[in-house]
Amino acid sequence: MRHISERALDAASAAGATYADCRVITRTVQRIGVKNGVVASVELFEDEGIGIRVIAGGAWGFAGVDDLSPGSVEDTARYAVRIANASSRVNRTAVRLAPAPALVGEYRTTVVRDPFGVSLDDKVELLMRTDEAMSHLPQVRIRECSLEFVREQRHFASSEGAVLDQTIIESGGGLDATATSDDEVQTRSFPNSFGRHQVCAGWEAVEAFDLPGNAERIAEEAVALLTAAPCPAGTMTVILDATQAALQVHESCGHPTELDRVLGHEAAYAGTSFLTPDLLGSFRYGSEQVTMTADSTRAPGLGTFGWDDEGVPAQRSVLVDQGLFTGYLSSRETAAAIGQVSNGAMRADGWSRLPIIRMTNINLEPGTSSLEEMIATTAHGVYLETNRSWSIDDRRLNFQFGTQNGWEIVDGERTRLVRNPIYSGQTPEFWGSCDAVAGPAEWQMFGVVNCGKGQPSQAMHVGHGAAPCRFRNVRVEPAR
Amino acid sequence: MSGDDELLAMGDRALASLARGEAEVVLADQRSELTRFAGNEIHQSVAERSRYIRVRLIDDRRTGVGEVRGHSDDAIARAFAAAEDSRRVTEGSDVSPLPAPTNGGNGPVAFSAATEAATPQDRAERVAIITEAAGAHGVQAYGALSTTTTTTAIVTSAGIRKAATSTQASFVSVARGGNDGAGYASRHSPDIDALDVGGLAAEVVDTCERNQGATVIGPGDYEVILSPYAVTDLLEHLTWTGFSALAVQEHRSFMHLGEQLMSEQITISDDAMTQEIFPFPFDAEGVSTQRVTMIDRGVCAAVVYDTPTALHDGVASTGHSLPQPNTWGPLARHVAMDAGDTPWQEMVGSVSRGLYITRFWYVRDVHPLRTVITGMTREGTFLIENGSIGRPVKDLRFTQSIVEALANVVQVSRERRLELGEGESGVLSPWLRIGRFSFTS
Repeated sequence: MRHISERALDAASAAGATYADCRVITRTVQRIGVKNGVVASVELFEDEGIGIRVIAGGAWGFAGVDDLSPGSVEDTARYAVRIANASSRVNRTAVRLAPAPALVGEYRTTVVRDPFGVSLDDKVELLMRTDEAMSHLPQVRIRECSLEFVREQRHFASSEGAVLDQTIIESGGGLDATATSDDEVQTRSFPNSFGRHQVCAGWEAVEAFDLPGNAERIAEEAVALLTAAPCPAGTMTVILDATQAALQVHESCGHPTELDRVLGHEAAYAGTSFLTPDLLGSFRYGSEQVTMTADSTRAPGLGTFGWDDEGVPAQRSVLVDQGLFTGYLSSRETAAAIGQVSNGAMRADGWSRLPIIRMTNINLEPGTSSLEEMIATTAHGVYLETNRSWSIDDRRLNFQFGTQNGWEIVDGERTRLVRNPIYSGQTPEFWGSCDAVAGPAEWQMFGVVNCGKGQPSQAMHVGHGAAPCRFRNVRVEPAR
Repeated sequence: MSGDDELLAMGDRALASLARGEAEVVLADQRSELTRFAGNEIHQSVAERSRYIRVRLIDDRRTGVGEVRGHSDDAIARAFAAAEDSRRVTEGSDVSPLPAPTNGGNGPVAFSAATEAATPQDRAERVAIITEAAGAHGVQAYGALSTTTTTTAIVTSAGIRKAATSTQASFVSVARGGNDGAGYASRHSPDIDALDVGGLAAEVVDTCERNQGATVIGPGDYEVILSPYAVTDLLEHLTWTGFSALAVQEHRSFMHLGEQLMSEQITISDDAMTQEIFPFPFDAEGVSTQRVTMIDRGVCAAVVYDTPTALHDGVASTGHSLPQPNTWGPLARHVAMDAGDTPWQEMVGSVSRGLYITRFWYVRDVHPLRTVITGMTREGTFLIENGSIGRPVKDLRFTQSIVEALANVVQVSRERRLELGEGESGVLSPWLRIGRFSFTS
């Protein structure tokens, strides 16, 4: 890889770049899907290419190509400089980067068993057992389960002297049971919705999910939802399971703390943020129960790595400290704009995409309560499980989420199953009403594999550690 | 860039290595460039060239897929090897056969030599038109201009042999400034030279200037005029949740064929052959794409098919397949709502009190079977009073059944616009006047 990156950096420099970096990436993805008792798909994707980022004339340019031959790499580097020069004619302000050490090193995801060393037969067998466990209920019309494995080798080099090699391995899987009746469709998922749960780990993670062991229960829940009572409506106490808490953190803390959004870089697409720099260190984001961190050292989250895609080391930053807004996710360019240094959140979706600020592992730190205690001390409310619908405004304030199911809580007891629950609110008021977070025993790392941002669009894999948590005075209603 | 003939020849060579069974070889070569701006300056400008080969093998009720980046002989060999390895473990699969060649497939293709030849400088010059217009009015412009050229070829052992090269130019802009104001506008075309950049600049700045000092308005049901930007979201979600034959077969679609669910003014079709919506002549299986009218004067009339769903229902594929095999089913990707006969500004003139919605944001399904969606308004929500668009109001959240909204349509505009939905498919949308639309916060 080094001979390729040297050629790219030399060509960029010769063409007039004042700064250049490049990433040579090889990615292999294996996906296996079983639907209604048959192997619906077995796919293997192999991807390789180089992305070259330069500053020339004070402006950024980026070009990527899938051909790693010397001539192609040099042409692509020169084209990146040409792009930067075209932009510089429009711009008045030169790009300025915060300092970062030029590091040399290697990093590899820790795995017990390499998922690419497990036979396809074993993977298919696990999924077929999972499907079989869901197959005894005729109302379950659609049974789906899948596995995904990713191996990505990243070689990063910069004109400042950084040379970093990383191998990231991801393993994921999940199941969905969809039950239908004449007037209703209900889906239950495990361990998470949107197809699967995924982590930076090996085959051992998939075995720990125990898809076959949970499949029958999930299928039964989908059927039960067909005739469950509608979720009660009103202002009440809400307890979120850890998966829904993770998505709540993603949408209402992860995105608004992205400093590029704050500075307007995403204003025409993903949006901006209500967490403006004047609020840093003084704004009450949530209650004292709420501490949120960005931690790219926290395995096995999908945001775990050795260095980000600018070569900044993985690290832990506190975004919300006992309710107080204290930090952003940043890059070298955006950090410089507010007089800071990067905390290592630049990530790209493969070689063909420009690194932009992305979540790493954005975690709701564990509290001291437990789900059992939260339910026992709730007079009336709902316990909500597994995301079904999510929407939030472009400043990340006004949100509405739906979950796959809910349980009504009456006088400290979990009572009946309820269907189609949705809850809504405003971010600071919602987190301000958080009065309990479960402790480390119920804290778990989840993965989001469909985080969209950027133009052209990039789908990032990010992690969220969360535990069940409780909120008071939340607006709840059934979807009509 | 590789041309159509070059990729077809490559596909022929790849197919020649097939040892047994059936094979589908898909080759694509794409060059995509995008210039992005924020605060009246270009902050990101990128280019990528990528090629891939995708091989689907079918033999003895087994199927497997291998996809490898690049078009080298080694890439082709590795794609075949990966597909073969995958095929080995799929015994007993309900394998859909390769479709036979069909007549047609030589219809129009969205292509522009100007788009194919567009340079970073070409894009920067067009961006400057927006940023200078914004600067002249004391506001900041944000957005992106993209140009993409894609050559796709499909060669199968069943006799399909098709290729096409298409282009797309897309310009999206937001203007922000003043008293917390913002505006939005976009233009899309196969031809970068056909983009009305001056009109885009004028529209986005005008909307921003009118959208200053927005005040709070309470939630509730309002009569609305939806711009084509907002209508596109409604059409796209109907496409995702209901217009697919698989969704009907799996009992998760709102479509009940023959039933009148919407206003008689509503006709929704998918037409990959019209020049108005990025025409493209075949689907991911190489089947010629047919025109399908899904909603005919408010009545559920038809759904779109790929080969597996067509075999299930004993009909012919309509040519709406995604890459096979897949669990999502077919997809309409050239959706149009028929125009009405009223100029949209006359529609506004007939509203005594209501809301004008420029666009929606973060629209998500709440209950797909009932087509209930939620989302926010964004960058231009205005009160209509006595037939005039007046003061701006703060953004609102809506939660609304699309089918119910389209049942309550009062008027459909004479004018339509080509938009790109969130899924980046072309959608041809009019303005709609809807008698009741539910805003929840």
